[in-house]
Amino acid sequence: MSPILELKNVTKEFHGVAALRNVSFTLMPGEVHSLLGENGAGKSTLTKIMAGVHEPTQGEVVFNGQPMTFGSPAEALHKGIAMVFQETSLVPSLTVAQNIYLGNEKFLNRLRGIYIAAQQFLQSLNFGVDPTMYVSQLGAAQKQMVEIARAVHHKARIIIFDEPTATLTPEEKHHFFSLVNRLKREGVSIIFISHALEEALAISDRITILRDGQHVITDDAKNFDRDKIISSMVGRSLSAELYSRDKSRKARAYGQKVLSVQNLSMGKMVRNTSFSVYSGQITGIFGLIGSGRTETAKIISGVVKRDFFHGGEVRLDGRSVRYRVPRPAVKDGIVYVTEDRKIEGFFETKSIAENIYMNLLSSDLNRGVVVSHSEMMELAKDWTKRLNVKAIDGNARVIELSGGNQQKVVIAKALVQKPKLVIFDEPTRGVDVGAIAELHQVINELADAGLAVVVISSYLPEILNLADRILVSRQGRVVEEFSTEEATEEKIMYAAVH
Amino acid sequence: MNARKLFRYLNQEKIVFLLTVLLFVAFSLTLNNFLDGNNILSLIRSVAVLGILGLGMLIVVLGRGIDLSLVATMAISIAWSMQLIHEGMPVYAALTTGLLFALGVALFTGILVAYAEIPPLFATLAMATFVYGFGRAHLIVGTDVVYMPKTMGWIVMLGQGKLFGVPMPIVVAAAMALIVFLFLKFTKVGNFVYAIGDNLAASRIGGIAVRPMLVLQYVLSGGIAFVAGIITATSVEAMNTRIVNSNMIYDVILVVVLGGVGLSGGRGNVRNVIVGTLLIGVLMNGMTIMDIQYTVQNVIKSLILLLAIVVDSIVNPRDEQTGQQGDI
Repeated sequence: MSPILELKNVTKEFHGVAALRNVSFTLMPGEVHSLLGENGAGKSTLTKIMAGVHEPTQGEVVFNGQPMTFGSPAEALHKGIAMVFQETSLVPSLTVAQNIYLGNEKFLNRLRGIYIAAQQFLQSLNFGVDPTMYVSQLGAAQKQMVEIARAVHHKARIIIFDEPTATLTPEEKHHFFSLVNRLKREGVSIIFISHALEEALAISDRITILRDGQHVITDDAKNFDRDKIISSMVGRSLSAELYSRDKSRKARAYGQKVLSVQNLSMGKMVRNTSFSVYSGQITGIFGLIGSGRTETAKIISGVVKRDFFHGGEVRLDGRSVRYRVPRPAVKDGIVYVTEDRKIEGFFETKSIAENIYMNLLSSDLNRGVVVSHSEMMELAKDWTKRLNVKAIDGNARVIELSGGNQQKVVIAKALVQKPKLVIFDEPTRGVDVGAIAELHQVINELADAGLAVVVISSYLPEILNLADRILVSRQGRVVEEFSTEEATEEKIMYAAVH
Repeated sequence: MNARKLFRYLNQEKIVFLLTVLLFVAFSLTLNNFLDGNNILSLIRSVAVLGILGLGMLIVVLGRGIDLSLVATMAISIAWSMQLIHEGMPVYAALTTGLLFALGVALFTGILVAYAEIPPLFATLAMATFVYGFGRAHLIVGTDVVYMPKTMGWIVMLGQGKLFGVPMPIVVAAAMALIVFLFLKFTKVGNFVYAIGDNLAASRIGGIAVRPMLVLQYVLSGGIAFVAGIITATSVEAMNTRIVNSNMIYDVILVVVLGGVGLSGGRGNVRNVIVGTLLIGVLMNGMTIMDIQYTVQNVIKSLILLLAIVVDSIVNPRDEQTGQQGDI
């Protein structure tokens, strides 16, 4: 059988920096091929070359036996290569059905017709999404489903999934994998990028691992296990330090009560939740998507307001506070590290140094009127070293960094404000394995230094590994609290879903 | 490969600057009186007010807004000041009143945008109409044109004087450009303007007082409008409030956009405004010497604007790489 897509010795440079060096890759018809590697390893660049987003600097793309250059993603899509991006590329102001049929409309586009067709189509995929809903009203997981449905509907011969399962619940993941198997039987080739190694192992026929823009290994999935993948990804065995619970780890002692939340409410997302946060330890908050974790954090840090009349009470160091904007919260020492760094984390036109410096300026630590370039560069040098941000220098733009390094910049932006309470919302989302270990170390050091730290995560091993006490959030309130000794994955999950 | 590198190096600002130089050379070679010292000065002088207004627009546009009430504020505030002088108010008191009026109007606009969260396009459009209507109905009743009082003293020099042979409007415009440049580059608040234009949510979470900053942007542009008003009124010894109904505000947007300031906020600086203003100056001056009709001049101006935008989008296409988060 001849490969449907072949990349021969592809090199891609951005501004003179090689993101890919001499990578070759083959994709057979009807194969599920996982592409693994740390962030910055070149997975996204490789797939974007396949999908026509980028042109290779050197090397050749052979599609269906013919050398090919795709001028644009639309051209690749037309030829049958569809890419499902991490961030959805749906039109928010159109309905689900309109999005699925986008670009395929008949001249007279009767909505009723496409609603019925979309309904049947979505049902055939086992996706419980209402085709008449507007995409802007959907949650992240449902958007992902629509995006997948659209790729399938375009009768793509190759579908590239970039982190498709990150936002899905276990149930939805199950549907997704059965869909992948169905597509495979129909002869569709699938490229699967994921940080969830177990999923990749379970689903793939073959696995290719990239490291630092170079090809490391391609082999049948059955010849891999978790340790082998991780050691090929990072060039060292990390699995021991990551996510395997260190039994000897002792929970940190309770410090002072920094934050006390009583009967906090906001609309339908946060309902009457109460809990406390202590200094010198990490409070983990676990909950499924939609359980109100992020909203609770945003109320505490002033990003959103709580209800006026029955909103409950937030006490910081025993003093009742009600923030309507984040500024007074930042002044009082509460910082929120967002889960969505691109949308509300950093300034994309600005450099690393400017990004970090801006948050120093906006805190009360800098009372001056005039900015200082030398102070900015000093600060950037200091923080990029402390958090080990990998970039050429402080003048590199944050948007050009890998996910892990972007996250480090966002964290530096928060820490530069000298907070006493730091709320990390999904601190390792879209971050590679190597950087996760570093980020966890940073978070641990903060707690050791006596800060009150809150870590919100929907990844159980992360919570178990980091937190000194674990709060479980469900339907807008904290329903259970575990000490780290008594917590198990089963107990936490049980509290979170039931 | 080399052509591509050159392409990368080019951006709208450089294209427009290149175009300005080309036009300048072409006019110098073809038009007799163009390359005359006096003509060059009058060329720059003719766009000085436009440039000053462009600076006000720049500050607002950088913060993701737009200010369509600039010209109305300029015309009515200075006209009212001069009207008050005619009615017997001391010069400085009258000018202060006019300035306070301009700042007050801008403050109100800013509050509408920042706190009532009305889109700036509509808020400033409504304010422009309101200011003009209110001014004509209650402040300078009965006339379109308010002539400059004879008692203005040294202030007249701002419009008519010269410094080392350079007309004062040019000097004032240059000084304003310098002040705005220093403000945007070296002050904390100026940096916040960029931050808010780049990413409002991140600015807010970072602890920048976003709403007061938005109000400040409009107040600054209102103050700049008043300065432009003084220059206009003293140069031509009158303020014709009908200027509000002309397409001057579009010219202001034109110089800002032409120079390469991003309407989506956060991108651009004073240099862009200067380049845009100079191009319009060279173009209009050359066309006036060639005796091209005013209406035809507008056609050419609009074509140039379209061309600049098209070239920019070809040279700097929307980058899918930066449009997506994640790893390279």
